[in-house]
Amino acid sequence: MLMSIAAEKGTAIAPALEAVGVSKSFGAVRALDDVSLGVRPGEIYCLLGANGAGKTTLINLFLGFLEPTSGEVWVDGRRVRQDPLQCKRFVAYIPEQVMLYGVLSGYENLRYFAELGTGERHAREPLLALLQEAGLEPKAADQRVSTYSKGMRQKVGIAIALAKRARALLLDEPTSGLDPSAASEFSALLEKARADGVAILTTTHDLFHAQRSGTRVGIMRRGRLVADLRTSDLGTRDLESLYLEHMSA
Amino acid sequence: MLSPRKDLLRVVRHELRVLAADRSLWVVSALLVLLCAYALANGLDHSRARDRARADALLEQAAASDALRASWRRVMTRQEPPDPWANPTDPSLVGSGLATRYATLPTAPLAPLALGQSDMLPDSYAVTTASRVEFMYDSEIENPWNLLTGRFDLAFVITYLLPLFVLGWSYNLLASEREQGTLRLLLSQPVRLGAVVAAKVAVRAAVLGVGCAALPLAALLALGAPLRGPAGLGLLAGAGALIAAYALFWFALAVLVDALARSSALGALVLVSSWVLLVLVVPVALSLGAALASPAPSRAELATETRTITAQSLARFADEFGSDYRHVHDPELLLPKNGRFEVPARLRAFFRASHELDSRLELALAAFDTQLAGQQAIVDRLGVLSPAIVVHEALAALAGNGTSRYQQFQFQVAAFHAEWRRFFQPRISEGLAITEADLDVLPRFVWVEQAPASLAKETLSSLLALLAAAALVAFAARRALARYPVA
Amino acid sequence: MNAPLLIARRDLTELARGGRLYWMGGLLLVLLVTSLAVGWQRQRESQGERARAQALDYADWLAQPERHPHDAAHQGMHVFKPEAALSIVDPGIAPYVGSTLWLRAHRQTEVKFRPAQDATGLMRFGSLSAAWVLQLLGPLLVIVLGFAALSGEREQGTLRQTLSLGVSMREVLWGKALALAAMLALLLVPAGLAAAPAVLLSAEPGARADAALRLAGLAAAYALYLTAFVFLVLAVSAWATSSRLSLVCLLGLWVALVLVLPRLLADASRAWVPSESRREFDRHLGADLGAATQQAWTDRFGAGKPFGSGVPLSQWGAGLRVHDQAGYGVMDRHFDALWDSYARQQELQGWAGVLSPTIAVRALSMGLAGTDFDEHRAFSTAAEAQRRLMQDLISDDLVEHADGHGEQHFTYRAARELWARVPPFEYRPASAEVALGRNLQSVALLLGAAVFWVVIAHAAVARRSHG
Repeated sequence: MLMSIAAEKGTAIAPALEAVGVSKSFGAVRALDDVSLGVRPGEIYCLLGANGAGKTTLINLFLGFLEPTSGEVWVDGRRVRQDPLQCKRFVAYIPEQVMLYGVLSGYENLRYFAELGTGERHAREPLLALLQEAGLEPKAADQRVSTYSKGMRQKVGIAIALAKRARALLLDEPTSGLDPSAASEFSALLEKARADGVAILTTTHDLFHAQRSGTRVGIMRRGRLVADLRTSDLGTRDLESLYLEHMSA
Repeated sequence: MLSPRKDLLRVVRHELRVLAADRSLWVVSALLVLLCAYALANGLDHSRARDRARADALLEQAAASDALRASWRRVMTRQEPPDPWANPTDPSLVGSGLATRYATLPTAPLAPLALGQSDMLPDSYAVTTASRVEFMYDSEIENPWNLLTGRFDLAFVITYLLPLFVLGWSYNLLASEREQGTLRLLLSQPVRLGAVVAAKVAVRAAVLGVGCAALPLAALLALGAPLRGPAGLGLLAGAGALIAAYALFWFALAVLVDALARSSALGALVLVSSWVLLVLVVPVALSLGAALASPAPSRAELATETRTITAQSLARFADEFGSDYRHVHDPELLLPKNGRFEVPARLRAFFRASHELDSRLELALAAFDTQLAGQQAIVDRLGVLSPAIVVHEALAALAGNGTSRYQQFQFQVAAFHAEWRRFFQPRISEGLAITEADLDVLPRFVWVEQAPASLAKETLSSLLALLAAAALVAFAARRALARYPVA
Repeated sequence: MNAPLLIARRDLTELARGGRLYWMGGLLLVLLVTSLAVGWQRQRESQGERARAQALDYADWLAQPERHPHDAAHQGMHVFKPEAALSIVDPGIAPYVGSTLWLRAHRQTEVKFRPAQDATGLMRFGSLSAAWVLQLLGPLLVIVLGFAALSGEREQGTLRQTLSLGVSMREVLWGKALALAAMLALLLVPAGLAAAPAVLLSAEPGARADAALRLAGLAAAYALYLTAFVFLVLAVSAWATSSRLSLVCLLGLWVALVLVLPRLLADASRAWVPSESRREFDRHLGADLGAATQQAWTDRFGAGKPFGSGVPLSQWGAGLRVHDQAGYGVMDRHFDALWDSYARQQELQGWAGVLSPTIAVRALSMGLAGTDFDEHRAFSTAAEAQRRLMQDLISDDLVEHADGHGEQHFTYRAARELWARVPPFEYRPASAEVALGRNLQSVALLLGAAVFWVVIAHAAVARRSHG
């Protein structure tokens, strides 16, 4: 019987997101091979790896979009397989490309997803405040999303996550395609959430931000987790060289 | 706080907003309402024309009846000599056309819904003592080219076009969210995929249902008095239920294909093919199959047999046919004496010959009825292969324009014809003149509508067939949704 | 090898590898073959039956005993409309018109026994025939095969690549058209070749050449029809910004042109050129007949009702002749008016063939197959001519032999030689040339439609010449 790492190791803080011995195969292709990792509240876990290494597959498992071939995935101490809806209530997901309903405005999109995400009605003012907190210009809130840039759409995605007041965040390449100032704004928001005790799992190619903002770093290669360490343990070593080292091994 | 019902409502509201914003809601509704309104107007027009024609026939019958009575009085009081070809005291002449008798079929309350066979089969027959072959082989006058084309009635819109609206609007319920990119974000919220799909279907079903069922049926109710009251409301409810069940089938099919298809273009092609198969090909193939399995007896043989029997009667009654027409020139012979009237031999012979023709053709004619019933039975059994057949035939039956009601009508007319004959038979053979009392009790055709229970049973079984088909597909759709790859 | 041929070959390969051709084309082929087979069997059976019945009928007529000629006129004779050899391909209006006519004294009747009245309501969905398959499903096949012909290439980016090689859009267009035409030919030519011997066998020995001509005409008509749709599909595929839009538009067009428009037009033509109901027709005809016969009677015999006491039996034959002949003009007027209204309705609808090739090809197909209303009308007219021949012959005989007998008029028995003076009814359908001549409107519209869509397709690709 697979047990949670926390229970096994007897540490005080239970991970919000946990994968234990997870493997996922699509036919003959093994996308994930015996991956185990945990993200505790207040941690930013940056998952690195080449395209096709299995990062997105892992995120899909946490979201309940896929079921592991073997192993277990836990969210907030619950098995995702058993109680997918409650787990989705716990996490918020911001995809790489935040796609929204183009004919509706940013505000309307936020309201829809926030209501579905929390199960409650939201008044207009708080939602507008969230959009502002996410960095969206106030006058853009009522414009059709089809006029938004990628950055603006992502800000709506952040606002949705904020509205959910989720205890865990799943981010897929959040800073790809963002200009440096937007990326740095985003990092500031993440840091704020982390300070609030949110567990954050993010996949990224951005080694700079990973080293600067991340609490832990994991490197995936061909479905396996080949490195899993704290950024504070990196010391003077460059994350880049570590990364390339593992990739060429 | 997970509340599936509230989620459903949220998705419904959202879906309405999206559909209204991208204008598809307005375009689809407007188009459907336009088509249904036109179709209904067509149906009303046709039904009203039939009602007027029936009223005219009955008026004509009443007027002729009065004229006959007046003529009888004039003849009996010697005010005018009787016309040998229109002698109101001669039972053979009164029976063979002097007394105009129409057997008419009233339109059912829902007739504007589905024209069925009403543009081809007659609503009224002029019944005389002559043989059935004289008046029962006629059909309504309508350009055969137009008959071949078909009518633009509500049944056409429902059977052929409604599925296209349903499929066109729901073939990419999920595929569009997937292709748009919103599916992942949506399903990362604590809401079930099934609920999302159900909500989307509900919105579309409600809009289409209002456009093609609620509005037309309400319009019919507003315009047609015969629909008020429990029986009429029952009919309306039946029609509404049939349309809803039919639409449900197509929604279920759309969801199934959407859940299984890899791309929305492929899904669209599969759905179009299903429509072609179920709405175009299967009915036509089944019609052919039914005709092959239960073929109509040969009409050419019937024609030959009719002529042969006629020839034999002519031979048998040759003497009477060959008798003279002395009476024509002798007015005294044209008046009754002590209530007796000797019908001219030739006219007597006509009467007996036509009677003989009918009784000898009875079997042959019954064979046609049997084969048609056989074909209908095949259609009823195998029609479940295509929901289009079920809904089309069920709507025609509800509207009172189906094959079986017309067959019933023909059956009752034949029975009335026999009754009419029986009235004159003794008077002709025993030489009794027509009296005024006779004129009062000349048989009238009374249409006996089929029991509402049998129509209800028919409608119910069609409804069940449609619901079963929908349920089957919905079940498969649910299983496909459970395995829907979100990632 | 020139560019269009190369493009066509590539397209054919792709279509052959894809699934669409096989299931949609396969379905079409199965339906075609089935309909031809069933049609052939039906035609053979019914033609044989009618020929036998006709012969039997005439034999019975000749074999009548000596009797009063008027009784023979009441027994009458039956005539049966022959089944056109090409009804295998297009049965036309056959389900809705009768095939049997009983020629008897006094009244012109209509051809009776519509097959549709011996069938269930299912027949109103349509009859399976090669014409039905080609007219309804043929365009659908073209749509399914060709909706992404140009839009798909544009989406994939391969169009730009092709154009960059120096191939013009026109050449691309013709290459695509060739590919689609080749696919259609692959399916339809074998079916046509299979139909040919069946058609030729079904035709009367003397009419085989005519049947072959008609079949060739039909093949050409359907080729034109499908060509129009090929270019229609390519035009929309070129114009649409995405394959999905192309498919949706094409399906919408198909529904509108093939399904909805014909019915709308039938309604419009009914409103424009109304025809009477059965009761009205019978009543007006009866009234006019009464008036005409009364007038003729008065003119000939002085006042008094027909066959009334004013005219002695010695003039019964003459009276019958006057009575019947007075009716001819009236009946011609009424039936002609009715049939003219049908013809005008069809003509009006025909003009809409400018919008929908389906309407044009329907009329042309029925005309060439010999199963249209013109043919039916010609048969009805010929049958009526036969009836009048019989009736006049009998009236003349009565005048000659029976009227002299005065009161014993009805004891006259005609000799059997009289029956032989009525010739057997022989009806030859019009020739293929005449049929074509009657349907020039449709030919023009079909040609026009094909040309129109070729032009539109060129315009559409010209707009997208940058790929």
